[in-house]
Amino acid sequence: MKKQKVIILNSEQQNKQDFDAIHELQEGLQRIDQFPVYTPNLQWFEQMVIQEQQNKRKKLISDLSVFFIVAFIILSGMIISLYQMPAIFILVQIITTIFIVVYTSVRLMKKANHI
Amino acid sequence: MDALIKNAKKGDHLAFAMLFKENYPFLVKYLMKITMNPDTAEELAQETMAKCVQKIHLYNGQSKFSTWLVSIATNTYIDQCRKKKREKNWQGQEEVYRKLKWHFESRNEEWNDCLEALGKLPEDVRIPIILKHYYGYSYEEIGEWMKISAGTVKSRVHNGIKSVRRELKLGEETESHYSEQRTTK
Repeated sequence: MKKQKVIILNSEQQNKQDFDAIHELQEGLQRIDQFPVYTPNLQWFEQMVIQEQQNKRKKLISDLSVFFIVAFIILSGMIISLYQMPAIFILVQIITTIFIVVYTSVRLMKKANHI
Repeated sequence: MDALIKNAKKGDHLAFAMLFKENYPFLVKYLMKITMNPDTAEELAQETMAKCVQKIHLYNGQSKFSTWLVSIATNTYIDQCRKKKREKNWQGQEEVYRKLKWHFESRNEEWNDCLEALGKLPEDVRIPIILKHYYGYSYEEIGEWMKISAGTVKSRVHNGIKSVRRELKLGEETESHYSEQRTTK
């Protein structure tokens, strides 16, 4: 019974110490909030947004260009192999199917083991 | 949803600028608390705003815009720390708070030992402590932003507070007070 009392006191003591530490932390952080921060004018923000929107558009155009070029190369290769070398076309199809099945099952097994 | 946010989502740069101007001091001060460096805070604030422009379509209006900014800023800082650690440019925890201390001293403002204790903690412990005990976000929210479980956030906050207590010698004072009481009895 006595032992139990001591444990309760210790945990209460610890909670009080935690509370004191948190209170001191909050006071310290409040000082950072009082720190003066220079806010640029509205034009600066507007310029920054326009610049970022332009960057976004440029990135989208370059990503789409890369996508279409790669897609064009792959599709051309597939069509050429289908008409000129059907054996290679079939081999590529088989290898791709096996790769997708193996990759998906390995991923699923890893996920199941992780859970 | 706020009219400003609706317009910003449509690509109105003036609406974006007004939103950012309104939230800029809050964002920089949050970043100052987690980075403990005013210069890094300003750099990261710009990076955060750039990411916001790119990701505005993902903002669903369920939380406040400032909360969304905090989540992006937190991720940006964590990514920057990881990158620096990979590039081995990491200065170590000892260096983190020195710049902030210098800024405080140059303005004749009183430095708080607690900030020093906080600065000595690794950033993955400092961030959850600030988010939980200063901004009042839930463990679940913090876990979601930092991509860790709520339980991990809780244990990091708990251990972080313990370290701060040790650094401030809060436990020792009360322990010695306790032992004094015992010997007098």
